[in-house]
Amino acid sequence: MDIIAVALILVGMFFLLVAAIGMLRLPDVFTRSHAVSLTDSLGAFCVLMGLSLYHGFGTNMLRILVVLFLLFLLNPVIAHATIRAAYRAGLKPQANGEKE
Amino acid sequence: MKASFPKQFIGNTLALFVVWLVLSGRYDLSHVVLGFIASCGVAWLNTGYPNSPFHNFPWGRQVRYWPWLFLRIVESSWHLTTIILNPALPIKPKLLTYRSHLKHRGAVLMLGNSITLTPGTITVDVNGNHIIVHAIDEFSSKDLISGRIERKLSDVYQEIKRQ
Repeated sequence: MDIIAVALILVGMFFLLVAAIGMLRLPDVFTRSHAVSLTDSLGAFCVLMGLSLYHGFGTNMLRILVVLFLLFLLNPVIAHATIRAAYRAGLKPQANGEKE
Repeated sequence: MKASFPKQFIGNTLALFVVWLVLSGRYDLSHVVLGFIASCGVAWLNTGYPNSPFHNFPWGRQVRYWPWLFLRIVESSWHLTTIILNPALPIKPKLLTYRSHLKHRGAVLMLGNSITLTPGTITVDVNGNHIIVHAIDEFSSKDLISGRIERKLSDVYQEIKRQ
């Protein structure tokens, strides 16, 4: 059980690292927010699942699952609020693709 | 399919009370009673608003949607990871407007949330049923344009077309 937990936490940390690299490499707010959404989807998911497995079955696991559920519900809201603010402030996304 | 007020109230109270029990982790009399009173109060304040996106929200039927969404998230996360770690950084960002046919406000909420939750696409603005989406490349926006997400959601919400 501990091995699976540690493996999950390591995988989660890998995705968090990739997200940090993406934050630095990508050109503008819109594309950077995609990198950030990587943290809350797979990064936080794997780390929290690893933690809950490490604690074993019990109330701690349930608490972590509640946190995970709220994270999945609330993180998109925060990302959306940031991006909408940027969009309404007149920031244009860097587009080398065409606009539809 | 419209649930009556007392039924909704009892459902909300029970859901909140379970969350309280899980989060507090103390089962002596004063904590349980206090939690029950608090959940009754919060449920009372929040039941019966027809404008809320969670009005008549089919919680049970979401079970069919979430595992599918999770697989999509894993797939596009991996795709985004390869993009970021690729030295050439092959991105093709663009804005697109998507018109959804979903009637239920909760369904539109779930659609916007799913788009943002999936790495590679993000909901920029929602105006009624028009959703402005920013996509990082064609692979990420493929699922949305082909209407796969919307078909899944309308399958979940088929029983409650209009409130």
